[in-house]
Amino acid sequence: MAKKILIVDDDPDLVEAVSMILESKNYEVSAAYGGIEGLQKAKTENPDLIVLDVMMPDKDGYAVCKELKADPELSKIPVLLLTAVVSKIPTTRYTQQMGLETEADDYIDKPVEPEVLVKRIEALLTK
Amino acid sequence: MCEQVKILVIDDEQIIRDGCSRILSKDGWGVITAENGNQGLNIIQEKLESLDVILLDLMMPGMNGMEVLEKALSICPNLLIIVITGYATVESAVEAMKKGAYDFISKPFTPDQLRIVVKRALERRALQKEAELLRLERERTLRDIATEKSRIKTIINCMVDGILVCDRESCIVLCNPAATLMLKSSESNLLGKSLSQCNLPIELSNIIEEGLRANERGYTSVSHELTIGETYLRAHTAPVRNDLGEVIGSVTVLQDISHLKELDRMKSEFIAMVTHELRAPIAAIEQQLTVLLNKIAGELTEKQEKILLRAKERVKGLLDLIKDLLDLSKIEAGKMVQYKEPLYLGEVIQKVVDLMRVDAEQKKIDLQLFLPDEISIINADRNSMEGIFTNLISNAIKYTPEGGRVSITLSEEGSFVKSQVSDTGIGIKKEDLPRIFDKFYRVKTSQTRQIVGTGLGLSIVKSIVDAHMGSISVESEEGKGTTFTILLPKG
Repeated sequence: MAKKILIVDDDPDLVEAVSMILESKNYEVSAAYGGIEGLQKAKTENPDLIVLDVMMPDKDGYAVCKELKADPELSKIPVLLLTAVVSKIPTTRYTQQMGLETEADDYIDKPVEPEVLVKRIEALLTK
Repeated sequence: MCEQVKILVIDDEQIIRDGCSRILSKDGWGVITAENGNQGLNIIQEKLESLDVILLDLMMPGMNGMEVLEKALSICPNLLIIVITGYATVESAVEAMKKGAYDFISKPFTPDQLRIVVKRALERRALQKEAELLRLERERTLRDIATEKSRIKTIINCMVDGILVCDRESCIVLCNPAATLMLKSSESNLLGKSLSQCNLPIELSNIIEEGLRANERGYTSVSHELTIGETYLRAHTAPVRNDLGEVIGSVTVLQDISHLKELDRMKSEFIAMVTHELRAPIAAIEQQLTVLLNKIAGELTEKQEKILLRAKERVKGLLDLIKDLLDLSKIEAGKMVQYKEPLYLGEVIQKVVDLMRVDAEQKKIDLQLFLPDEISIINADRNSMEGIFTNLISNAIKYTPEGGRVSITLSEEGSFVKSQVSDTGIGIKKEDLPRIFDKFYRVKTSQTRQIVGTGLGLSIVKSIVDAHMGSISVESEEGKGTTFTILLPKG
C-alpha cells in the first residue's frame, strides 16, 4: 500500500513540484497551504510522514512541529522540515539546533534535489 | 606723493612777509601770508589741514601775536607755531613757548637762521604726521580685530557642527550652541568647567584627553563615534599647538550622524525585505526546473533539456546573489556574528576543507591543509568562520587551473591567529587589488568571464573579519597565484 505524505507549504507552485517528485515515486500525496491547515490535515488525513515548510505566514513550521509533537496521537508521525537556504554562510548548525528544539525528525534545504528528498523520506519511513 | 609744504606767515611788516616768502619758496615750500591776526586766524581756520608751520609775529597792531597764538592753539593744539620776536625780547619768547609755541626766532634774522628754524619745525611736523598715521592704522587694526572676532564668533555659533575647545588643563574654554545641543547640556554647564565636571559621555572625555596627550609633532586627529540617547555623534579631536609645537589645548568637532545611521538602517532593511520577497518565487522556479529536468513531468528533447539546464544555472546564480545580499545585510546590521564562542579555528577549517575536497578533485587540484599541533583558541562565530573559509577556498579552486595547488595554513603571529589561503591560480592584477573587497567588484578578464560569481563574496569575508576585530590582506602575482592572509585576535 502506498505511503501517504502530507506536504505543508504556503507556495502552491512549490507544493505542486514536490508533489510531482513524490508521486513519481508512487507516494500518495496530500497538500496543505498553510500551518493551520497543515495541523488540521495532519489529524484528518492520517499521513505516514509530513514534509513541513518553515516560513509560512499564518503559523510557521517550528510552531506547527511543536504542536504535532505535543499531540500524543500525532507525535509518532515523522516530520521532515523544509528549510529555505537564506544564507550562503552555512547555517547547518543553526538549523540543526532549531530542528532539535522543535523535535523535527530531519530537515532538508529548499530547493530539493529529487533523489535526496526521496532518500531522506525512505530513511524516515523505515525507522 | 609729496604734498607741497605750506607755511603761513603772519606779520604786519610787508618786508618780513616778502622776505620770508622769497627765502622759503626758494626751498620749494609754499608760502601764504597774512598781514594781521584776524586774517591769519581766518586762514588757519580755512586751511587747517594743509598748514604745516606758522610763522607768527608777536608785535602786531590790533590783535597781538600772543592772542593769535592762544586762539590758533585753541583751534588745533598740534599747530607748529614759530613766534617772531623783536630783538632781545627773550621774556616774550619764553612766555609764548609756555603757551604752546613750538619755537621762536628773533628779529632781525638771516635767511639761514629762518631756514634752520623752519626746517626743524617741518621735521617735527613730519614726525607728527607719521605718528598720526600710525595712530590711525592702529585704530583700524583694532577695529579689524574686533570685526574678525565678531565674525569668527558668528561663524562658530552658526555652525551646524558642534565645537568644543579645551585648554591644556582639560577645561572647556569655548563651546558653540550646536555642541551644547548635541551634548544635551547648557553653555553654563560646560564653559569654564573641566571635562570631569561636565558629565560628558565617557568616550568623548577620553578622546579629548587623548588629543591633549598627543606629543609628537605634526598633525594628529582622533575620530570616534559615540551615542547619546538616540543620537549618534562623530567626534574629531585635534590638538592645538603653540609656536614651539607644544600642545596648548584641543579642538573637538562634533557631527550629528543620526540621519546617516537611520538611512543606513533603512537601506539594510530594504535590502533584506526585497531579497526575502525575491527569494521565495526564485526558489519555487528552481524547484519547478528541477522537476522538469528530472523528467518527472515527462520526457524532454535534447534541446529542451539544454535550455532548461541553462535556465536552472541562471536561477541558481540569482539565488546565490540573494543569499550573498542577505548575508551582507545581516553582517552590516550586526546580526551575523552575535554568537561568538571559543573556537579552534583548525577544526572549522578542517570541516570546510573536507566539504571542498570533492570540488578540488573534480578539477584535479591538490588541496593541502597544514594545521599546527597546537593553536590558540579564538572568540568567533562558528557559522561566519565557516563562511569565510568556504568563500576563500572555493574562490581559490575556482580561479586555479586544472592541476594546480590550493594550500591552507594556520599559525600564530603575536596576539593573533594567522590563517592563509594560497593558490597557484591566475592571480589578480595590481590595479584590481585595492578594489577586490568592494561590493559587486569583479575582476574582468577573458579568464574570469566563464566563472560565475556575485562580486559579494570577498566583501562578505571582509565584513566578517572586521566584525571580529581582525584584518585581511591579499598578495598576488598575475599568472602565479594569490594568497589571502587573515589575522584574528586570540580569544
